[in-house]
Amino acid sequence: MRNSEIAISLKGLTKYYQDLKALDDVSFDVKRGDFFAFLGPNGAGKTTTINAITGLSNYQDGEVKVFGYNAKTEYTRTRPLIGLCAQEFNFDPFLNIHQLLVYQAGYFGILPKVAAKRADELLNRFQLSEKRNVKHRALSGGMKKRLLLCRALIHEPEILILDEPTAGCDLELKFLIWDYLVQLNKEGKTIFLTTHYMEEAEKLCKTIGIINHGHIVRIGEKKAVLQDKSLQDVFLEVTGLE
Amino acid sequence: MINNPIGFLSLSKREILRFFSVSSQTIFPPLISSTLFILIFGVAIGSRVDFGISGLSYLAFIVPGLMTMHLISGSYENTSSSLFIARWHNHIQEMLLSPLSYFEMVLGLLAGGVARGIVVSTGVFLISCFFTPIGIYHFFWLIYFVLMISVIFSCAGMMAALWAEDFGMLNVWHVYAIIPLVLLGGVFHPIEFLPEWLQTFSHLNPMLYLVSGIRYSMTGVTQIPMGICASIAFLMAIISFYFTVYLFRIGYKLRS
Repeated sequence: MRNSEIAISLKGLTKYYQDLKALDDVSFDVKRGDFFAFLGPNGAGKTTTINAITGLSNYQDGEVKVFGYNAKTEYTRTRPLIGLCAQEFNFDPFLNIHQLLVYQAGYFGILPKVAAKRADELLNRFQLSEKRNVKHRALSGGMKKRLLLCRALIHEPEILILDEPTAGCDLELKFLIWDYLVQLNKEGKTIFLTTHYMEEAEKLCKTIGIINHGHIVRIGEKKAVLQDKSLQDVFLEVTGLE
Repeated sequence: MINNPIGFLSLSKREILRFFSVSSQTIFPPLISSTLFILIFGVAIGSRVDFGISGLSYLAFIVPGLMTMHLISGSYENTSSSLFIARWHNHIQEMLLSPLSYFEMVLGLLAGGVARGIVVSTGVFLISCFFTPIGIYHFFWLIYFVLMISVIFSCAGMMAALWAEDFGMLNVWHVYAIIPLVLLGGVFHPIEFLPEWLQTFSHLNPMLYLVSGIRYSMTGVTQIPMGICASIAFLMAIISFYFTVYLFRIGYKLRS
């Protein structure tokens, strides 16, 4: 990993879905060790931005860098640095959840013995040990959420990207996830979080970016963005949803 | 070429275990159908046919053809179903988010297709040994053609899996192009037995050269020079492999 203080850097990112301009010249940086909230209404471009960073989406113009590496041309270097906890439950149906984590770690070049140990630790941390030999279909929604987190963390990434990680979670699970994210951030991991829960972003994050119709409409440190207002008020004001 | 050997081996292992875990759908059906082909066409009908091709019995003639047919189907079906299901469930993201290069991704998926093709065609060979003494005339050529054919059709399976939008589309190429061309390529008949106009068409059919390659490797009998068969197989394998890597690189139906 390059000794860059910028974990994620987007410059002039522009993305079209046929005629629809989903991202319009999006530029911002996320510092190493930051807890960054990326907010916006549905369809604003949050997931598209995440997909561009992780390499799940092509884009027509601009540049994405992860710790100084170009995400398009140096993707074999950027991908080990990122763990993605996506919105949907997209697990391999042929594997049980322990195998699923071990294979995922394998794709990242981690030896099976090390991967198995890490998988056990993560399953234990997220209270899934008893289910280690079942397939994901046998898990409840909350358990699947936790499994998504385990999968994102199995290769110990420097950056954790979470796309609405607590959507549909009960309070207990929400607190479990929050505690773990705060702990990871204290250990130096960079967290990039999208959420529709304003209190979640306000409580956890150090920096806030708001996107609307593919444009960044507000970005900065939490204090500077809020200016003694609540995040909800700022959000409604800059997105014009009042 | 391979910078992430553990990643490549993990993907290969997953692909191979996947088809073994559903062997009732992937391995046994072609073995059962081959046994029936051998019994009906080879033993029941073939023993009454005055075949007269270089001293080969009809049964010995069709075994290499059957092996090729199932080598092609096994390779194609493995990669097409695996990749399409991964797209369908979107767990393809597990692979796309990893640091595997596109070359390694294709190679890993290919390993499953090649392995399944080899397992099934070896099974057909072993079954045929119960019915007729059949040997291997040229081991090197057999390995060469088995590898080339399984690479070609594993790649074809991946291309189909990327192109298809539903399960129906997945089988279009197999049912309407590959199987008819394979059957017309001389699995059950020497092309000399066909009417002259169809013989000309058969020489344009690339499957003829693949079936002939396997048949020569096993029986030493061929109507087509081996150099031509080997060159066509090599060209097809290289083109299909690099075209598949290209599709992965541009993210054809893999990235939004």
